[in-house]
Amino acid sequence: MKKRNLYFILFFVAAMVPFVSHAQKFATKTGDIKFEASVPSFEEVAAENKNVSAILNANNGELAALALMNGFRFKVALMEEHFNESYAETAKYPKAVFKGKLEGFSLKALSEKPKQFTLTGELTLHGKTKKINDVAMVSVKGNTITIIGNFMVKPADFDIDVPKVVSKKIADEVQVAYTFLLEE
Amino acid sequence: MKNRKILIISGVILLVLAAAYYFYFGFLYKEARDITAEAPAYTLTAPDIVEEYQTNAATADSMYLNKTIVVIGNVNDNDSISVSLEPGVYCSFDVPAKNIISGKNIKVKGRCIGFDELFGEVKLDQCTINQ
Repeated sequence: MKKRNLYFILFFVAAMVPFVSHAQKFATKTGDIKFEASVPSFEEVAAENKNVSAILNANNGELAALALMNGFRFKVALMEEHFNESYAETAKYPKAVFKGKLEGFSLKALSEKPKQFTLTGELTLHGKTKKINDVAMVSVKGNTITIIGNFMVKPADFDIDVPKVVSKKIADEVQVAYTFLLEE
Repeated sequence: MKNRKILIISGVILLVLAAAYYFYFGFLYKEARDITAEAPAYTLTAPDIVEEYQTNAATADSMYLNKTIVVIGNVNDNDSISVSLEPGVYCSFDVPAKNIISGKNIKVKGRCIGFDELFGEVKLDQCTINQ
């Protein structure tokens, strides 16, 4: 009798496993990242990448994002060339990767009204890794989770040298803004 | 004598203007690349490029990154801004493409921007359908 009970419990636990370990994932391949390093009264230094991939694990708030560096588009062709060849060296370092977590994330806590979450994690690009800490606004509508936020980085943090000749025209701090519309 | 001087001076001015023009429009504000008009550096099938990226991403990058390529493959997913080719080539359009039929074998021309490990896909941007 005891053994039968044990089997029953085992069966029950085994039957539950797929439900417990099933990670609810939300993903996008068309996330948007803009960065701007403009200096007032000089030409705009800005780029946008509309093909950023991101995956959110809705069970624990883990967020992974990957931006292919060549996907950053500038208005001025020469600027894009300099970004690829001299600054970000995109042939050598083709991607930027973020791995982090939305602290205290819970799918149930979301609504159509954006809610603040602290996003912490590590950003790796140009062969260097830096800790990122910012506040993200997260909302949900139907099957889509929207994550919006921005943070500041310094080119120097990623060993990106800006030559003296142009350093006046490029801000020391680069403003990065991201928008992810993730679908289940 | 005077005529010659005027000729030389105007010649020099013209040269300087031409150089300035070239510097401004040919260098500082040169036209962005037009991927649609560029001849492809490589033409290959979707399974081939995916395999090359999965075998050695660095080698594949050195060949294809930032180059205009033509990829041939079967459509397995598409919307107005992108098309996916089996087994994993993601092509995004600047101008929405029409008449893409799932399962159909198509040729896509675009710029290779690298390999996306999150989805295991090669990504192309500024794509157009090449019939």
